[in-house]
Amino acid sequence: MKMLSSLFFQFLKFGAFTFGGGWSLIAQMQKEFVEKRKLITNEELLDLTSVGRSIPGTMIGNTAMLFGYREAGFLGGLVCLVGMTLAPFLILTAVTFFYNALLGSFIMDAVMKGIRAAVVPIILSAVLGLMKSGYRYPVFIVCTVISFVLYAFFNVNCIYLVVIGMILGVLITEICERKEKANGR
Amino acid sequence: MAGKLLQLFLSFLKIGFTSFGGLSMVPLVNSEMISHGFMTQSEVMDIVAIAEMTPGPLGLNCATFAGLRAAGILGAVVSVIGVLTPSFTLAYVVGVFFEKFRKSRTVSSMMNGVRPSAIGMILGVMVSLSLSNYVGETGDISYVSILLSLLDVFLLVKLKMSIPKVIGINAVLGIILFGFLGLN
Repeated sequence: MKMLSSLFFQFLKFGAFTFGGGWSLIAQMQKEFVEKRKLITNEELLDLTSVGRSIPGTMIGNTAMLFGYREAGFLGGLVCLVGMTLAPFLILTAVTFFYNALLGSFIMDAVMKGIRAAVVPIILSAVLGLMKSGYRYPVFIVCTVISFVLYAFFNVNCIYLVVIGMILGVLITEICERKEKANGR
Repeated sequence: MAGKLLQLFLSFLKIGFTSFGGLSMVPLVNSEMISHGFMTQSEVMDIVAIAEMTPGPLGLNCATFAGLRAAGILGAVVSVIGVLTPSFTLAYVVGVFFEKFRKSRTVSSMMNGVRPSAIGMILGVMVSLSLSNYVGETGDISYVSILLSLLDVFLLVKLKMSIPKVIGINAVLGIILFGFLGLN
């Protein structure tokens, strides 16, 4: 029970400070669960994110469910989902009433422009952590380069990138392990 | 009313199962909302503007806003439940199997490649976010935003400041720099 309420409030907070899309929620999970509380490792967070990204639906909803399930079963997942949804839901509902006033407001524009400047740094700070332990063998940097180029320049759907990653993962791991065996003994 | 709510729920259920979140949802939201007469084209265009103005993942905000506009608070609730349905059904089932098999040799080899690919994806997302955050609609680069971001990197990476604090600082600096000083 204590576990469930702590998951709920954690995701309530994440939801309230997620700007610029789901990845900044992943960044908050990285800071809180990996760096601060050491609940999961960078690798495990990347795994959950990749799996969440490859299932239909919102990436972050899926990742929250997968994380909650891992920590406290189905209810844990549900609690994370509800927690994550609540703050944005209430804020957006309130904002909709003042929608026309806010949309053109010069203060609101200035605030949003300031907050938008924080989005890339927030994601960057998480990626730096994730990069430290995402590579079983150094050659796997190839996967990062391929998926970056395909995503950024050719707009390839993330599902294909995950599938390419899976295939390269099996191949490269096999080759590296064979090499290790041949060199080792 | 009940019929309308059911229709909204089914629309977002469909959107949830056939999209992958974020901006990829917008075209689907567009066709669903207009074909059922829930929203007009220009209201749909507003979704993105307002979904980015408030916190929360874009996909959820789209559902909330569309539901609100179409059928008030209840509409928003059923829309959000609809769009999250893949998460508590499909993602749950996948989670059960993933936890069971993630230690297996094949799955762990696969994940060896998937993790670096995911990092590549995030780097790609950062590039597209940078383009939209630092380059204005007219193509001019916002150097003040870039400087502010550099300050944020320092606060987050060097001083290990928490994300909510950094967002607060940026909101205040935003009012000063972009509001009162009128910088770009």
